Amino acid sequence: MSLVLEFRKVKRTGLAEAFLGGGILAAAVPFLNMTFRSDRYLSANGSPVTILMDANWQMMSMLNVLLTVAGACILYHIEYADHTMQKMNTLPIREVRLFFGKAGVIFTFSILFLLTEAASVAACAARWFGSGPETAARVLYIFGFALLMLLPPILLSLLVSSLCRNMWISLGIGVVCVFAATMLPTRDFVLTLFPFALPFQTPGSLAADAVRNYAIAAAAEAVLIVLLEVIILNVRRLFE
Amino acid sequence: MNIIETQNLTKRYSGFTAVSELNLHVPKGTVYGFLGPNGAGKSTTMKMLLGLIRPTGGSFVIDGRRFPDDRTQILKEVGSFIEAPAFYGNLTGEENLEIIRKILGLPKASVSEALELVGLTDFRKRLARKYSLGMKQRLGLAGALIGRPPVLILDEPTNGLDPAGIHEIRTLIRSLPRQFDCTVFVSSHLLSEIELMADCVGILNHGRLLFEGTLQDLKFSAAAQGYPTDNLEDTFLTLIDADNRRRGGAR
Repeated sequence: MSLVLEFRKVKRTGLAEAFLGGGILAAAVPFLNMTFRSDRYLSANGSPVTILMDANWQMMSMLNVLLTVAGACILYHIEYADHTMQKMNTLPIREVRLFFGKAGVIFTFSILFLLTEAASVAACAARWFGSGPETAARVLYIFGFALLMLLPPILLSLLVSSLCRNMWISLGIGVVCVFAATMLPTRDFVLTLFPFALPFQTPGSLAADAVRNYAIAAAAEAVLIVLLEVIILNVRRLFE
Repeated sequence: MNIIETQNLTKRYSGFTAVSELNLHVPKGTVYGFLGPNGAGKSTTMKMLLGLIRPTGGSFVIDGRRFPDDRTQILKEVGSFIEAPAFYGNLTGEENLEIIRKILGLPKASVSEALELVGLTDFRKRLARKYSLGMKQRLGLAGALIGRPPVLILDEPTNGLDPAGIHEIRTLIRSLPRQFDCTVFVSSHLLSEIELMADCVGILNHGRLLFEGTLQDLKFSAAAQGYPTDNLEDTFLTLIDADNRRRGGAR
């Protein structure tokens, strides 16, 4: 029920439009890249999907993470702007359920924009590389992995937003984290485990065991962030 | 029978005590006026009763249920309006109440009933952020009244309303125990307002309860101490002033 309620709350916030627009923008990246620089990629070695992901994923994933950060800020801003968080706390609903509901909203929108991007990559592979329907399974696998990698930054953005009554602070923290993630060396496995750096990973450029390790790390981080949120909410209550 | 009872309820912050060993007795089916100057601890007490802040000491019971063990059950039975109206500005008045209705698991008709009670039916489709201050106040009240809870905790509910609105809300509050068989615990810093709607009053100053009883009892008690009783506003001010003097001039 929390998920349905959270979807009702985001009406007229522009969140759905932002995710739709952001998804289309990210989906346009490989299309535009191939339109203007196809020579560079058509001569490259490797599978079409891997070539397309290596060429475009950095920009696409940055847009994706920025979208989730902005989404998390908006979702908590509507709670803090006109004291509704206080009202929610006087109703028989746990604050952590709001957190899960909001995570569900961003996760659902993430599925939608990742599907849009997957369709774009598949279309580019078919249009410029002549790939057949067999590409679809590979694209879905890659974007399924991307969804899993997006889970820690979604939850961490929500955690930060739940702590900051001022939306600009949580947005600032989120943006700094995203840009910090882009500056981390990609060859150091430990550094790439920074939650905001995980979405930049793509299985096409990783060995099978590295893919497994990243999947385990993302799941573990998600669990840890949720536990941290539960602890923080309980501890915060003690000091109010 | 008391529907709300506190036992030595205390809230201390570093450096000062907001509420000190408060023993309230709110009789069932009455309007209980909780009076005190600004900063007396009224909102802090109400927030403790709603579980928004944690008491430093003492305990309380609402409708036979003890906090924090029965928190969820208590919150199901208490409608509240604290400090300022709370609403989602991007939703209409009706959609705002719909959110509360869903959380409380109430029937659909409760939304229109609450809107009707506070006179917002004609504005139900308007975005809450476009409401006037008075309308936002009414929406906050509707959020407290939805589902006819047996206990209502209202913190200065007439703030921001024009004289006609104040009269209307006051009449509504006055009628609630009879209409819905509920108890209203309402705070204000204006005795003149409380006088017109409360059956019992509790007077708080610097976190301490100076008086608790009916308005008649207040007059008797004030007369016995040599305070003026012709005008309850004067009685209240003299009572607060005397307490401040006892405390060494602190206001």
